[in-house]
Amino acid sequence: MTIFYFWDVMNEKGIIKHTYFPDFNSRIKHYVLAFVVIGVTTLICTPLANTESYHVVSFILLFIVSILATFMGIGPVLMVSTLSALVWNFFFIPPHYTFHIDKAEDLLMFGMFFIIALVNGVLTTKVRRQERLAREREERTNALFQLTRELSKASGIDEVLAVAIEGIKNHFRTDPFFILQDGNNILHSSGRLQKEKKLTQKEYSVAEWVFTHSRKAGKFTDDSPSVEYTFFPMNGTRLNPGVVAVKLEQLFSGDQKAFWDTFLTQISNALEREFLGELAQKARFLVESDRLYKTLFNSISHELRIPVATIMGASDSLLNSPHPGNVQSALFNEIFTATLRLNRLIENLLNMSRLESGQISVRLDWYDMNDLVNKVAEDLKDELKSFSLLVSIPDEMPLVKIDYGLMEQVLYNLIFNATQYAPVNSNIDLCILHDNGEVIIQVKDHGPGFPEEVMGNVFKKFFRVDTSKTGGLGLGLSIVKGFVEAHKGTVTVGNRKNGGSEFTIRIPTENPDIKNLQLDSE
Amino acid sequence: MNEIETILIIDDELQIRRLLEITLSANGYKILQAGNGKDGLVDAATYHPSLIILDLGLPDIDGQEILKKLREWFFKPIIILSVRSSEEDIIKALDNGANDYLTKPFRSGELLARIRAAIRAGEKKNDAPILEFGSLSIDMINHVARKNKEILKLTTTEFSLLCLLAKNQGRVLTHQYILKEVWGYGYLEQTQYLRVFVAQLRKKIEDNPSKPTLLITESGIGYRFGD
Repeated sequence: MTIFYFWDVMNEKGIIKHTYFPDFNSRIKHYVLAFVVIGVTTLICTPLANTESYHVVSFILLFIVSILATFMGIGPVLMVSTLSALVWNFFFIPPHYTFHIDKAEDLLMFGMFFIIALVNGVLTTKVRRQERLAREREERTNALFQLTRELSKASGIDEVLAVAIEGIKNHFRTDPFFILQDGNNILHSSGRLQKEKKLTQKEYSVAEWVFTHSRKAGKFTDDSPSVEYTFFPMNGTRLNPGVVAVKLEQLFSGDQKAFWDTFLTQISNALEREFLGELAQKARFLVESDRLYKTLFNSISHELRIPVATIMGASDSLLNSPHPGNVQSALFNEIFTATLRLNRLIENLLNMSRLESGQISVRLDWYDMNDLVNKVAEDLKDELKSFSLLVSIPDEMPLVKIDYGLMEQVLYNLIFNATQYAPVNSNIDLCILHDNGEVIIQVKDHGPGFPEEVMGNVFKKFFRVDTSKTGGLGLGLSIVKGFVEAHKGTVTVGNRKNGGSEFTIRIPTENPDIKNLQLDSE
Repeated sequence: MNEIETILIIDDELQIRRLLEITLSANGYKILQAGNGKDGLVDAATYHPSLIILDLGLPDIDGQEILKKLREWFFKPIIILSVRSSEEDIIKALDNGANDYLTKPFRSGELLARIRAAIRAGEKKNDAPILEFGSLSIDMINHVARKNKEILKLTTTEFSLLCLLAKNQGRVLTHQYILKEVWGYGYLEQTQYLRVFVAQLRKKIEDNPSKPTLLITESGIGYRFGD
């Protein structure tokens, strides 16, 4: 008799768990029930005991056995078949209350009853087992279907792993540990999603062996059975994403093994897909950064060469040939202008690299906007000589909380830009106001403004309007944007109705706490 | 100038030392040079210069350490000239006793002005009863400030703030230092108080409050009392 089949127990979540032995303990109820049913039937049938119709009792008992077989396990069914045969013999076949059978036909009847009851019971259980297996298969198919669907929905290695871990937990009653490779065929020693889990040195070397040989190893296998985990390789078609480790009570076998293998293949494929996706993205990123690098390199070498050439030419001329005083000072002027340009370039490059490396830490403190404007106007006094900078800051402008260094650079870049594009002797307007928890800074000029089609690119790195008359890397405005955003603010650009561009910065700020101030001062 | 002032330059960049020597000699200063911190400390002790120009990024000893060592016995002005432009470094140097700072690249005109101001401030007797700055005069004894001979209405805090800055004319005072001296230790973070008072004070003492010449803001670091 085969009893080494899966027996199903529904747990509280309605998830079927599989065990390898019939669960006799929880079937005690069935044994008792079978016993009681046979007892009651016997009692009810007692009036028939002394009549000639005791054969009828055998039919009734067979009927009962068949009914019980439809929902009981093989154990109670075997018991109920034997018990009913014995009861029929003992109570109903004359001579009563003995197991002795007088008539040959009764003996035959008894034998047949016993066999029919047994066959009936066993066949019914078998049918039920088939049905249960079919249901299990269906559940596995469903589980696989669901897994495939969720895996295909998951994007990114982390999401795929989360789905895989949940699936294995649900269907295999074990908490899996995924050890993935780093993209260069070297395994990590800790889980990607499961940071708390870490392999010991020995476990790691087993995992590595599994990864390189694509064969399972660990507990219940021939290789390194002494470790706690059983390691299964995950094999993709183009690369192996890694290894999965599970703690098992026994190695998978039969249908369960096939189920596990299919489950793992699905997960491996999904992981491989994500790995390849990541690699492709890295490649795209490399191409993009290569392009940026080339642009940067070209424009930097250009931007460096021009002022260096000026300095070299002018100083060489001053050193080697006598010049009248006015030519001399013109040459000195050129040298000085060139160094200012170089200095601005270096400043912008440093700021850009600070932004790019994410090293901008905003140190907020209270500042008077007038101070900021004065400082920037002072720094740009040479550039502003041929412009009128019209500053408007309301008298009741409160202190604002900003990073002085960053905002100084922001204003510097915007006003410097205006001086480069606006016509000489025009006005540059700088308006600062405070509105509804925001400080608003506007820089307006009377230059040509921006063509509509490039509006979206104004703040992009290395973007320059083609008609730019002046040099520059196209970093200034992207630095403005980066620094303003570091303040959690926004910067927008537009064209003015009567010509010129208009930059608007909005930075959230709070009101300074100066309530006690007047008390202190008097 | 009665005697020739000696300036010690401690900087590891030969080109910068050469430039400084040319510019400063042309303006009547005697120049000493040291290419590293060790030599700098020895030279300072040997020649007792009137002023030291110190680079913070020296190859052997950290500039801040040299500053601390110098300040144990050297009380004449020290000006920091460094490429390190981060506000923290500057504030740290000022706290360690530097009088002023300039970041490279710098304009020589600016450097000369700072040197003159620092030397002048060092010579000036800060305990004089009356300090005069153009049309502004501060009477320390009677706690009165006058502008164009007219008495200014200043609150107590405004007057102490003005005195503190004026006594340290030419020297950059950090926010924290001013807050500690004028308001006390409990107010070190209350930069907004300082801002408001500086703005009020400017309206009273400056000829043009929006273009201050006396109460000069040092970006993100502190204030300096100008000439």
